[in-house]
Amino acid sequence: MDWSELQDARLAVITELASLTPGGHVGRTALMKFCYLLQTVKGVPLGYHFTLYSYGPFDSSVLSDLSTAETLRAVQSSLTYYPGGYGYQIKKGECGDSALNAGQNFLSQHKDSIEWVLQEFGSHGSADLELESTIVYVDREAAKKSETLPIEHLALRVRDVKPHFPEDYIRGKASELLSKNLLRGSAGAVSACQ
Amino acid sequence: MDPHRIYEIRCPVHGFVAFNDWERQIISHPAFQRLRRIRQLAWTDQVYPGAMHTRFEHSLGVMHTANLLYDSIVRNAKEVLSSELGYDDAGFRRNRQLVRLGALLHDVGHSPFSHASEELFPDQANGEGKFTHEQYSAAIVRGPLRTVIEEHILNQGNYGFTADDVAALIEGSAGAKQGIFWRDLITGQMDADRMDYLLRDSHHAGVQYGRFDLHRLISTVTAIPGTEGRPPRLGIEYGGWHAAEALVLARYFMFTQVYFHKTRVAYDIHLREAMKEVLPGGHFPKPTNDELEAYLQWDDWRVLGLLSEGKGGEHGERLAKRKHYRMVFQTNEIQTDADRTRLARVRVALGDLLVAEMPAGKSWYKRDDSDIAVYRNQDGQRKVAPLSEYSNVVRHLGKNDQILVYCLPERKQEAATKVEEAIHGLE
Repeated sequence: MDWSELQDARLAVITELASLTPGGHVGRTALMKFCYLLQTVKGVPLGYHFTLYSYGPFDSSVLSDLSTAETLRAVQSSLTYYPGGYGYQIKKGECGDSALNAGQNFLSQHKDSIEWVLQEFGSHGSADLELESTIVYVDREAAKKSETLPIEHLALRVRDVKPHFPEDYIRGKASELLSKNLLRGSAGAVSACQ
Repeated sequence: MDPHRIYEIRCPVHGFVAFNDWERQIISHPAFQRLRRIRQLAWTDQVYPGAMHTRFEHSLGVMHTANLLYDSIVRNAKEVLSSELGYDDAGFRRNRQLVRLGALLHDVGHSPFSHASEELFPDQANGEGKFTHEQYSAAIVRGPLRTVIEEHILNQGNYGFTADDVAALIEGSAGAKQGIFWRDLITGQMDADRMDYLLRDSHHAGVQYGRFDLHRLISTVTAIPGTEGRPPRLGIEYGGWHAAEALVLARYFMFTQVYFHKTRVAYDIHLREAMKEVLPGGHFPKPTNDELEAYLQWDDWRVLGLLSEGKGGEHGERLAKRKHYRMVFQTNEIQTDADRTRLARVRVALGDLLVAEMPAGKSWYKRDDSDIAVYRNQDGQRKVAPLSEYSNVVRHLGKNDQILVYCLPERKQEAATKVEEAIHGLE
């Protein structure tokens, strides 16, 4: 894919996620994590380079593409406040169909993956999405080093990065992801690698 | 030798940059000294002759700036950090040193002429795209710099850092543990990297763009408490929002006037193509144990030597003789449907006269999100809002999606005529 095809594909995916997410809009954190999960778990070739932050896997290029989508009116963002913070609601814009048409081939190729990410994670809140994508990130790091992490060890590594989550909550989320076959470098029990 | 001695080095941006004996030994290591031979802005001197500075002075400046930011955040939000990340005084001291090392070494993996040659990094085996300079930096920290990082008496007596701790912070991996919170100071929206490079590039290029009130910005940066199960985040106190606004504008002006200057971009294209000729296989060695030493042999001096021997092919020749590509068409910064129609017609009209295109979005210096969180605590009422809520300018500053179109200098007139005809047909 050359640069302009990749750009069309990314804008189409962003627009599609904004329009299909339950409630008819997606937040910025959710958008970031959906893109991460699509690329990492489903192998959708979005060409992003995610690295880890305290708020989970992140690539500023996703926000850059979102900004382009807003300029083209493929999506429309509105600001919302909640106690102690703020967020954005991103919904399909008046020129959304143009963006979807430009990336139509890419969308059809990855339709199942987009439906999957929204079905599995579409109703999750930002904090859970940050945690779940961090679990996947840490799991993939281990897999890359050919490590097999028992779920308890995976949870401890994740807790080191996200200390504001209780360990058993992280373990529960990791087990859930494991049961859905979304983890590669992790196993169910400590005995698995001993 | 006194391991507690503090050294100072002059800096054109910050006055003096101070470092301890441990950092001095890291700086003196050949892998770090190589940065003296990596220019910060590639061939920008062809447009702004003063822009001959290197990654070496920038790296020192980032360490200095990151330290100032760290100290200010701790001053402004000590309670938030203590309660949410569990730091005590020793924790604060430890993370301060980790941030300094991460900032100092974040660019140690840069290729010759910095970003201009990054497209020649090899592909990763796992289909994750090309390696990045951060991955090279992390590999150098874990490899050649491991001993000098781990074995200094200041480290062994006070911190016990491994090279992996520093590398994890630079590359963004789970090994950074709670220290990952500070990664935003090294690579984030308001990081020390961009604060230093904007001021430094502006200074050396001799332009009046890129300036902002660094010290006001630093004094108002803070950690905003996390909500709804989310971690604390970096932001700016209300009193600093004009300084944050100036930072956003500085980036905008430096991008349009320096980093995305039409001639500078042309030199990046020629350099990349010439380097394909001189690199074995057309790409750099990988950041792996068996290839890293070979990678470290590449610096600007070596590339210039090969180019002067005529090994850079047609593009090397163009660099040497200043026969660079000429821009023949550009879209507006904010593209409309009409822009895209014009561009499509220009492409068809130019045919093989079109030799290169550069979209702003593809540039390493692209402008990303400017949504900096502003924190206001007035009479016990706490409010967090994006900078765009306060700054009218930021709210309306759209993303630059400009595309530059180039032709050969010897066919500029012919190409310009074709462009004129293509556009005229629309009016």
